[in-house]
Amino acid sequence: MIVAALIILGPLAAAVLILALRRLAPALALLGAGVSLIAALFTLSRVANGAAYSATLPGLPGLPLRLVAEPLTAVFAALVAVVGFFVMVYAVGYMRGEGGLVRFFAGMSFFVAAMQALVLAGDWVLLLAAWELIGFSSYLLIGFWFERPGIAPAASRAFLYTRSADLGLYAAIFVLISQTGTSEISRTLQAGGAAAVAAGLFLLLAAMGKSAQTPLHGWLLDAMAGPTPVSALLHSATLVAAGAILLIRAFPLLPPAVLVVVGVVGGLTTLVTGLTALAQRDLKRLLAASTASQYGLMLLAIGAGVPVAALFHLLAHAAMKSSLFLGAGVFQHASGDSTELADLEGMGRARRLTFLGFVIAGLALAGVPPLSGFWSKDAVLAATFVSPNAWLLAPLALAGTLLTGLYVGRALRLLWRGEGESEPVAGERWMGAGLAVLVVLAATLGLAMPPVAGLLGAELSEETLLVAAVGLVAALIGLALGWALPTGRLLGPVYGLAGRGFRVGGGFDGLVARPALGFARALDVFDRGIHAGVLAVGGFGLALARVADTMSDGIHAGVLAVGSASLAVARASRVIDDRGIDGLIDALVRGTRDLGARARELQSGLVHRELLLAAAGVALVFALLIAGSVGS
Amino acid sequence: MTTLIVALAVGAILFGVGLYGALSQTNLVMIMMGVEVILGGALVNLVAFWRFLHPEAYSGQMFVLIVMTVMALDMAVGFGVATGRFRARGSIEMEEARDLKG
Repeated sequence: MIVAALIILGPLAAAVLILALRRLAPALALLGAGVSLIAALFTLSRVANGAAYSATLPGLPGLPLRLVAEPLTAVFAALVAVVGFFVMVYAVGYMRGEGGLVRFFAGMSFFVAAMQALVLAGDWVLLLAAWELIGFSSYLLIGFWFERPGIAPAASRAFLYTRSADLGLYAAIFVLISQTGTSEISRTLQAGGAAAVAAGLFLLLAAMGKSAQTPLHGWLLDAMAGPTPVSALLHSATLVAAGAILLIRAFPLLPPAVLVVVGVVGGLTTLVTGLTALAQRDLKRLLAASTASQYGLMLLAIGAGVPVAALFHLLAHAAMKSSLFLGAGVFQHASGDSTELADLEGMGRARRLTFLGFVIAGLALAGVPPLSGFWSKDAVLAATFVSPNAWLLAPLALAGTLLTGLYVGRALRLLWRGEGESEPVAGERWMGAGLAVLVVLAATLGLAMPPVAGLLGAELSEETLLVAAVGLVAALIGLALGWALPTGRLLGPVYGLAGRGFRVGGGFDGLVARPALGFARALDVFDRGIHAGVLAVGGFGLALARVADTMSDGIHAGVLAVGSASLAVARASRVIDDRGIDGLIDALVRGTRDLGARARELQSGLVHRELLLAAAGVALVFALLIAGSVGS
Repeated sequence: MTTLIVALAVGAILFGVGLYGALSQTNLVMIMMGVEVILGGALVNLVAFWRFLHPEAYSGQMFVLIVMTVMALDMAVGFGVATGRFRARGSIEMEEARDLKG
């Protein structure tokens, strides 16, 4: 279990150390992510051999925090660790020459640690805490360049959207805990009946916010304002994945009625955001819309009742989408820090090696065999075809596949055509290393699917040749059309709408921003009320103070009177003192002085006169003696 | 007894002459000479009392010798003062020596 704890503690310690030392940030972040990676792979291998870990930590009274390493969570932890580590390697190169490295790498490490805590959480309280922490750290990272125009609002928008949807998670957890009396996830999943329906819908709301499902997908495109490694991490394995991970873990809870809703939401999202992706003029925004579309496919698979297909697609998508973002980051640096498709024209020709990686990942995303995306998408398609609601879900999934091919083809065309000029890129080796590993993963992850399915003990839907062929044909048609035709002709009248991300009726901001602002305004009024109350109390206090002041003045006058009376007495006694005692003493002094003056006259300093006086004195004594002797 | 009266008379005359001398003179040396004469009268009295009243005791003779020693010291101090005074002011007139008063 200590090893499993290291998965979380590695990056967390790295974040703390970076903030404390404020130097060597890239090295420390790499070290933390590396520790996490090794621990996650080790845990996965142990779990694959039949071990299961769980730890109970002290938490809220009666609701202890639990960490669980079972097959599902171990697979997720390994995914997060792998993507986190290689994105961190890439980021070392990408962020070369940027300021604020301490902030960036501390945020990234903390982000990874929070995400690991989320996937390993064994109870709802810890999961909720981690859920909030990834929202918070993604807010910090999206707003990393907060001094540039438009970035801070984008970060706030992302935070507000996900935060509002988080209310669903709070409500779901409340329902589950009050229904089952425990916060342990595995036990709450056995709840049934109305509680399961309510909790399932609330969980879906939370997942929609985090995974950017329609109609809450607007924030994801704006979140592209952050540095590219952040986008890669955000989209592949962490923030956006959290929603799908939540639904996959909570799948046993979901009753069929909720599953249909999940599938419809996913299908709608894959359509809407697929069209949005087609109309984007910015490479990173295109990739962002595609992320939402792919998560829509995962929700489709969950809605079809085969969560393991969603899990596969999540794994494959993590590798593919992080590769695509990392490639986009290289193009961005090579074109002088722009991600506009117009600026990136022909960049593929100028940077062929990076473009090769980008093409592999893109084809994998579109679902071309034998790359990983083919297998995972095939699993999703197969799941929708055999589900009870196949008439509804299967066309949506097929449309999603077609759209994926379209926008991938379009992106490749735009990057390949035209003459691009490439600038030298700093830190290219680091970026190349991170990108290469993830591209290899994106290409070969299909091989890992049977063992993972065996590990999870889950049954995949039976793959028929027909489904695979239909999916492949849809993908290839999409790719061909996307490569051949300009988007404007393809989309026709919905082009403008798609470009704005389908913000009909003033935008989906109305669903989130306006209520939030209204709530804020209500709070403001409340605040003003409190303010007025405080002011009234203050005025009363002031009046009281004034009364006290008057009283104090009276006391002051009384004290003054007493003081002047005693002053008069003192003055009288001083007069007596002066005239009486002082006079007496003065007289005494004067008398003594007079006497002294007279005595001084005798002391003439004339020897013979003083001799005469002495002789006269002796004569007097003599005369007295004689008179005495005569008398007796 | 008549000789004792005579001796006392001589002593009284000497005392009177010395007293007059000491009081009438202004010169320091002359004043000291007057004092010497007074002491001489006293010595005559002491010797007379010893010789005619208690000739067997030696204390009278001792007393005379002590008084003579004191006279010598008296003169030494007096002349020392006179010499210092003369060096400092060029005069030993006591009328001018009021500045000795503290």
